[in-house]
Amino acid sequence: MKILKNLLKSPMFIIGAGLFFGTLLIALIGPIVYNMTMDRVGAQYAAPGGGYLLGLDDLGRDYVSLLLSGLRSSLYVGFLAGIIATTIGTLIGIYGGFRGGLVDDLLNMMTNLFVVIPQLVILILISASLQEGRSLTLIGVIIGLTGWTWSARAVRAQASALKSKDHISLAKLNGDNTLRVLLVHILPYIFSYVFMVFIIQVASGILSESAISMIGLGPLDTVSLGTILNQAKNTGALGDGVWWAFMPATATITVIVFALYLLNTSMDGVFNPRLRK
Amino acid sequence: MLKQYPTLRFILMRGGWYFITFLVAVTINFYLPRLGKHNPVDIIMGKSGSGMSTEDARIKEEMYLQEFGLVKVSGSGATREIVRDSEGKPVRTTGFEQFVTYIGMCLKGDLGTSFQKYPKKVVDVIKEAVPWTLALQIPTIICGWIVGNVLGAMAAYRRGIFDKVFFPFALGLSAFPFFVFGMLLVYFFAVGFHWFPAMGGYANNVIPSFSFEFFSSAAHHYVLPFFSIFLILAGGQAIGMRSMGIYELGTDYIKYAKWLGLKESKVLAYLFRNAMLPQITGLALSLGVMIGGALITEMIFSYPGLGMAMLTAIQNNDYPMIQGVTLIITTSVLIANFTVDVLIGFLDPRVKAGLQIGKGN
Amino acid sequence: MAIFEVEKLGLHYLTRFGQKIHAVTDVSFSMDQGEILGIAGESGCGKSTLVNGLMGLFIPPLYPTCGDVRVDGESLMNRTPEDVRQNVLSRKVSMIPQGAFNALNPTRKVKDIAADVMAAHMKGIDKKQIYERLIERFNLFGMDTKRVLNSHPIQLTAGERQRSVIGISTLLNPQMVIADEPTSALDVTTQKVVIKMIFDLLEKGIFSTMIFITHELPLLRHVADNIAIMYAGEIVEKGTAEQVVFDPRHPYTKALMGAMLSAEPGQKQRKPTAIEGAPPNLAKPIEGCRFAERCPSAKPECKQKKQEIRIVGDRQVRCDYAE
Repeated sequence: MKILKNLLKSPMFIIGAGLFFGTLLIALIGPIVYNMTMDRVGAQYAAPGGGYLLGLDDLGRDYVSLLLSGLRSSLYVGFLAGIIATTIGTLIGIYGGFRGGLVDDLLNMMTNLFVVIPQLVILILISASLQEGRSLTLIGVIIGLTGWTWSARAVRAQASALKSKDHISLAKLNGDNTLRVLLVHILPYIFSYVFMVFIIQVASGILSESAISMIGLGPLDTVSLGTILNQAKNTGALGDGVWWAFMPATATITVIVFALYLLNTSMDGVFNPRLRK
Repeated sequence: MLKQYPTLRFILMRGGWYFITFLVAVTINFYLPRLGKHNPVDIIMGKSGSGMSTEDARIKEEMYLQEFGLVKVSGSGATREIVRDSEGKPVRTTGFEQFVTYIGMCLKGDLGTSFQKYPKKVVDVIKEAVPWTLALQIPTIICGWIVGNVLGAMAAYRRGIFDKVFFPFALGLSAFPFFVFGMLLVYFFAVGFHWFPAMGGYANNVIPSFSFEFFSSAAHHYVLPFFSIFLILAGGQAIGMRSMGIYELGTDYIKYAKWLGLKESKVLAYLFRNAMLPQITGLALSLGVMIGGALITEMIFSYPGLGMAMLTAIQNNDYPMIQGVTLIITTSVLIANFTVDVLIGFLDPRVKAGLQIGKGN
Repeated sequence: MAIFEVEKLGLHYLTRFGQKIHAVTDVSFSMDQGEILGIAGESGCGKSTLVNGLMGLFIPPLYPTCGDVRVDGESLMNRTPEDVRQNVLSRKVSMIPQGAFNALNPTRKVKDIAADVMAAHMKGIDKKQIYERLIERFNLFGMDTKRVLNSHPIQLTAGERQRSVIGISTLLNPQMVIADEPTSALDVTTQKVVIKMIFDLLEKGIFSTMIFITHELPLLRHVADNIAIMYAGEIVEKGTAEQVVFDPRHPYTKALMGAMLSAEPGQKQRKPTAIEGAPPNLAKPIEGCRFAERCPSAKPECKQKKQEIRIVGDRQVRCDYAE
């Protein structure tokens, strides 16, 4: 509770939370209050106005509908990838950092190995080989499965710092088994940290999806913010000055990621008093 | 034996580690594209095979199969021949046999033949693209790193108004996806104001050569891609440096330096140097992301580098090309990482003394 | 003649909400040439804040409230930070910090840190002179001088690091040395080596006057001439080492002696007793005696009446009821 109180004192947190929950709200109730349609409703790249707030795309589809749908896809992918990556990373990080020894060495070696191989490269290779079945969910899962290394490193560092703390040695002396020590003594302490890691993982999931879609390896079953941008680039909207083809989508991605970064930074400030002043 | 030469030992150990990573990367690079069930030759045949007689198509298909190492071959040189089973069909190679062939080819510097630009070699296409990518990315990453760190250190040390204005600005910058920022720059400065060209590495009417025209055209085309990578990178680095700097400010050795009455410039030098070390490690860790982002930026600007080569390859299902480019990217990231690792070993006595900072293992 | 005088010194921190936290109030004492004064108290009693004030080093959010500090009759107050840096620190008043493990810049060799100190205070001294003087000085410390000077802190043992810190702090022969828990976090053998080194330096006349801050009263009895006990930012009792340790008069000092596992032979059987409660919150104004809440012999009026230092016998005590 005290933490929440401190967080609410930070303007950065308030702005970040406001922006984030704002977009989340739009994504949730947008389709209910707005009459979404994916059909052709007018001319190619019709300018905004005339009932269509953000104009039409190259197939004459309403950009507000596309954007709402893209926003939902991006948030979905972000959360899916974030949950997978954070779960794997936390488990490996806690186990490795806490147990030490050979298993830790192996896990750590694996983590360090995959940290240096660029995630984008792996994403491109997998996505390129999955020609037909490339769904939004599959992309989210792949991003999650390839993006955990960073959280594993971060959590592991925290866990091994905690390991040497007195109350944990005491619990071990008292004969608590490993699982109990993990659940009761370690997880609560690093929960705040894991939550911050999760926020960053969601942001990077959203960025990864938009990057891979931008290249043309995005989901085939739905519209995402990245596929909107890919379409805008492929049809030359950028060079023709059709701003409504990419501005709203770029702004949406940036706002979500910025909001998540703000949340993370403000939490860092509260959990890490030294950064406060 | 190597105990007497800790530096050499350190370099060899890091080198050995990166070699293992490289082998894993090569394996991944080979197997991942084969996850899908389709056969690359079918794709290429589907594209070029229409209108051919069945006999022509069969000959062409067998040529491709042989070219891409998908069938067993006996003999060498002029007597090379496809091994056939009792029905006269070519005998397919197993995945592992292909892998062994692939490794052998990689070691010889042969990355195969492009589907799309057949019979052009992948290596030759990459050779044309690499100079552009290097010329764009190396200066951008170095400048972004330096500028970001200097500004971040100042924000940490000065705090106050400078920090209050600077920090949200840098945070905002770092939240921009690389390609998004590139698009905005194109829209405003190329399409809107016509200050800079929107696309390409040089104007269409100039031929790449050692001439003034070529270099001035290339420089003009360089500006927007440079800034779209540089600014985001500097923003991200500044944020990292700022929090490292604030952390270091509270450490005992900084307090002691102040108690001893060292000059402010000296205290700042202590601070900057020590906060910078984790930033170098951080640079190594994020190089993959940076280079990936920069490649996508190249695609936005249709810059004639590796990013564009990759995009074209993806659009044409040119697997050997995709694999070649990803392998080159991974290898360069590994080499860059290795360099940074060795560098930090020299700069930070704690690393060689065994107390590793940041990078474990 | 007193070489170091502190007069009614008050120090406060300014929080970002504009609140003042009076970490040190009404501290007065004076020291003669060659005197060793011990200061003891619980953690958080204002010892470390006091150290900054005694050096004239006011880095925001720390500010002086009132009072004066004089070295050799020269005030340290109202001087520019640059003046203090150049002319006071390391030269007039120097500091030996606690936790030498982290006090030395981990990425700099010991000789370079020491050279930085010399270069910061002496104009026109060249590198060669600096290193000659360094070797000469470090030769006094009974270490492998060349190796220690050419090492990074991480390559040294805890004892070597602490001795290097002492060497660096006393490099410019300061008139006053303030040692802030110089032996904490060291093992017993190393503690002895460090104490011996400090006294060697005193004997050789590198410096002569010292304030020794520690929470180990038994140690203070051996090293200090006089002892001052601090509580909640105030000095509550000051007398000779013998008086304070063996015959404490202030209720807090008495409680502190009880709370300490004494190394004195006669007190071996005595069990340590913890002092109940916590020190007062210094962000709020305090009217009465600061120790009243926890004092076992507090009278009802103690909570209202501010206690002043008074002379009891030949010592100072901040308690109206001490005898």
